[in-house]
Amino acid sequence: MIGRGFPKAPRSYICPSCSRSFKLQSRRHATAASPDVYDVVCVGGGPAGLSLLTALRSSKATSHLRLALIESQDLERARTWNLPPDQFSYRTSSLTPSSLSFLSQIGAWPNVDTSRVQPYRHMRVWDGLSSNSRISFDALTSEPPIASMTENQNLSRALITSLDDLPIISLFDKTSVADIHLGPPLSFPAESPTSLDLSSYPHVTLSSNHTIAARLLVGADGVNSPVRTFAGISTRGWDYDRHGVVATLKLPPGTGHSRENPQRVTAYQRFLPSGPIAFLALPGDYATLVWTTTPPQATRLKALSTEDFVAMVNAAFRLDVVDLNYMFTLDSGQVDELEWRESVHPGNKADLGGETPQHIASVQEGSIASFPLRLRHASTYTTNRVALIGDAAHTIHPLAGQGLNMGLADSRSLASAVEHAVLHGADIGNEIACLDRYNEEMWMSNNRMLGAVDKLHWLYSATSGPVVGLRGLGLRTVDALGPVKGWFMRQAGAL
Amino acid sequence: MASRKLFALPALVRVTIARSARPFSVLNRPPPRYEGHVPLNAFERVTLAAGSAVMSLMNPRRGDLIAALGETTATPFFIYRLRDAMLSNPTGRRILRDRPRITSKTMSVTKLRALPENGVGRAYVSWLDREGVSPDTRNSVKYIDDEECAYVMQRYRECHDFYHALTGLPVFVEGEVALKAFEFANTLLPMTGLSVFAITRMKPAERIRFWNTYLPWAVSNGLKSKDIINVYWEEELERDVDDLRNELGIKRPPDLRDTRRSLREHKRIAREKRDMMGGLRAD
Ligand SMILES: Cc1cc2nc3c(=O)[nH]c(=O)nc-3n(C[C@H](O)[C@H](O)[C@H](O)COP(=O)(O)OP(=O)(O)OC[C@H]3O[C@@H](n4cnc5c(N)ncnc54)[C@H](O)[C@@H]3O)c2cc1C
Repeated sequence: MIGRGFPKAPRSYICPSCSRSFKLQSRRHATAASPDVYDVVCVGGGPAGLSLLTALRSSKATSHLRLALIESQDLERARTWNLPPDQFSYRTSSLTPSSLSFLSQIGAWPNVDTSRVQPYRHMRVWDGLSSNSRISFDALTSEPPIASMTENQNLSRALITSLDDLPIISLFDKTSVADIHLGPPLSFPAESPTSLDLSSYPHVTLSSNHTIAARLLVGADGVNSPVRTFAGISTRGWDYDRHGVVATLKLPPGTGHSRENPQRVTAYQRFLPSGPIAFLALPGDYATLVWTTTPPQATRLKALSTEDFVAMVNAAFRLDVVDLNYMFTLDSGQVDELEWRESVHPGNKADLGGETPQHIASVQEGSIASFPLRLRHASTYTTNRVALIGDAAHTIHPLAGQGLNMGLADSRSLASAVEHAVLHGADIGNEIACLDRYNEEMWMSNNRMLGAVDKLHWLYSATSGPVVGLRGLGLRTVDALGPVKGWFMRQAGAL
Repeated sequence: MASRKLFALPALVRVTIARSARPFSVLNRPPPRYEGHVPLNAFERVTLAAGSAVMSLMNPRRGDLIAALGETTATPFFIYRLRDAMLSNPTGRRILRDRPRITSKTMSVTKLRALPENGVGRAYVSWLDREGVSPDTRNSVKYIDDEECAYVMQRYRECHDFYHALTGLPVFVEGEVALKAFEFANTLLPMTGLSVFAITRMKPAERIRFWNTYLPWAVSNGLKSKDIINVYWEEELERDVDDLRNELGIKRPPDLRDTRRSLREHKRIAREKRDMMGGLRAD
C-alpha cells in the first residue's frame, strides 16, 4: 500500500554529504520540483526520534516503510561514543520499567552497555524544611527495580546500533532543516498517471539544499522544534526561573552502594525551597547529581572550586536551609563552613544508616553543567501529516525524571498507530485514519503528568506558612490513602 | 498507556514516615545533652511555662522564674528563629563558632572603666555601676534541648545588659518593660512579649507614658533595626555608642530617669505654687 506508485529506490545511507540520495533523485525525476518522497521523515535523532525509527523498523508490518532521519549532529560520534569505566556522562536519565520493556521489545536494550546502567530498588524523599517528614519507597528484590540510571548516550548508541542491524534508512546527519513547506498543487493534466498529489505533503529543504517530501513528518527535534513551528502548533507553558545543575559525583573509593550490596542501591531526593536535589547511584563509586536551583545559585555553584562544590553538595543533603543559603553567599570557604556545621550537629555525620546519601569525595572533571527548566505542552501532537514526539511535544520539570520516559512512550504509541494504519491499509499521514490514535492515547496522560509534576514544584517552593506544615502532613497522609500513594510513587518512582 | 504504566511499576511495599522527637515519661528521661541541661517532655514544658508565668508576674524580681519562662516558651520555634538569624549573618556565625561568654572574668570591670568616655564598654560599665548589677547575675540555660540553641539563649541573656547600655533604659519596671518590648520586636522571643504584661504593675502615669512614648519607640526601633543578637559586643567595646546605635538603626529613647526627675520637679513646683496660692487664699 504505502509507497505504491514509486519506483522502489534502493535504501541506502546517505552519509555524510547525502550525495547518493541526490543522485537517485536526479536520476528518477527530471524536474527539480518532484522531490524524493518518504513514508516517514523524522527530524531529530535524540532518544525519541531514534526509538521511533527502531520501533518502526523492528515491527514486521512497518519494516518496509521508506524512512529518513534528519539530524544536525554527527551521528557517527554517537555511534562510536565510548567512555572508560571510570567516567560517566552527566546527561543521565532514569528509565522506568515500562521504558525498559519498550526498549527490549524493539530489540535495543541488548545493545545497551548494562555494565554502565544502575538499577535501584529504594528511594528516600524528604522535605528540607521539616526534615522529620520523609517518605521511603522500597521494592522487594523479587520485583523489578524502581528505575534504572542510564546515560543518554549509552541509550542513543544502542538505538543506532540496532538501526544498523535493521533494513537501511536514509540518514541525513550533520544536516539541519532549512525550510519546511507544503508541496506545489498538482498540475493538470498530470505529468504521468502515477504522479501523486503532493500538495498536502510537507517538503523539507535541508541545509544541503536538497528537498525531501514526507507522507508523515515527525518532529522529534527537541524543545525548539522547527517541525512544530511549521505545523503552526501552539504551546502552552512557562519558564520556572530555575536551572538544573547536573554533575557526575565520585564517592570515596570502595564505598559505592552498588558494589557492596546491589540490592540496597537507593535514590535520594531532598526538596529544598529553590527545588529538589537528587543523588542517583551509578555503577561503582559514582553517582549523578540533579540539583534544581535558581539561576544565580547555579552560576555560583559552577564558579566554585571543586572542593567547595563538593562541600555544597554534601551540605545540601544534610545542613539546614539557613546554612545553605548562607553558604551560597560565599565565593569560597564552603569546605570550612560544612566542617563546622557538622561538628555542631554530629548526628548528621553518621549518614543516618542510609537515610541520607554518603558523603561524596569529588566531582568528575568537566562534568558540571546546567540547563534552564521549563514547562511546555503542545496544544496537540498532530495535524495533517505531522506528528510531534518527545521534547518537541512536551518539556517537563526534571524533578520526577520523566522527560525521556515520556518521549519513549510517545514513540511506542506513534509506532503502534502507524502499524495499525499500515495493517488496515490506511494512509499513515492521515489524522483520522492514523494520527488521532496517537494523540488521543498520549496527550491527556502526558498532560496529567505535566500538571502533577508542576504542582509538586510549586508545593515545595513554598518556604513558610501553612503550606510547609501541610506538606509534612501530606507526606504522612500519603501512606494512609492507597490510590494517592500509588499516584505519588508513580511520580517519584521514575525519578 | 498511562494505566499500563501504573501496573508496570513495582508494587512498592513499605512507606515509612520517621519522626525524630519521641515522647518520654519521667521514668525514662533521656540523658542531658550539655552541662546543666534538663530534658523536659511536652507536659512538663507547658506546666513549667504556665507556672513560671504566673509566679513571675506576682514577683518580677524572681530572675530564675523569668529565665524558666523564657526558655520554655522559646522552644521549639522561637529560639530556632533567633539562631537562624545568627546563622544568616557573618558576625552571628562567628559568635556561634567562638561561643564567647560574658562574665566578670571575661568582662573586667576595671578595664572597662578605663575605656573612652562615650564608648560602648564605658556605657555598659557605667550602666552596671548605676544599677548596681554585675555581669554574673545571669542564670544558666537548662530547659532548651538543642545544645546550640541553648547557647543562643545564654548569649541573648548575657547581652541583655548591653541592650540597657545601648538604649539607656533603666532597670526598674518601667524601663525594663520598655526594653522587653523593644527586644520582643527585635528577637520575637515570646517571653520578652509576655513580660510586657508587667505594665499591669505600673502606676497610671507610668502606663500612659509607656503607651504614648515607650511602646511606639520600642516597636518601631525593634522592628526596623538590625538583629541585635548579631552584635559581637566584645569587639565593640571601644566603639562610640551613638555610632553603633546608628549602625544598628536604633534611635535613643527619652531618658527615663531624666523624665522622672523632671516630672518630679514639675510636681514639686506645682505643689509649691499651689501651697503658695493656698496660703494666699488663707489670708
Ligand atoms: C537537568 C535535566 C535532567 C533530566 N533528567 C531526566 C531523567 O532523569 N529522566 C528522564 O526521563 N528525562 C530526563 N531529562 C529529560 C530528557 O533529557 C529529555 O526529555 C530527552 O532528552 C528528550 O529527548 P528528545 O529526543 O525528545 O529530544 P532531544 O534529546 O533534545 O533531541 C532532539 C534532537 O533534534 C536535533 N535537532 C533539533 N533541531 C534540529 C534541526 N533543525 N534539524 C535537525 N536536527 C535538529 C537535535 O540535534 C537533537 O539531537 C532531563 C532533562 C534535564 C534538562
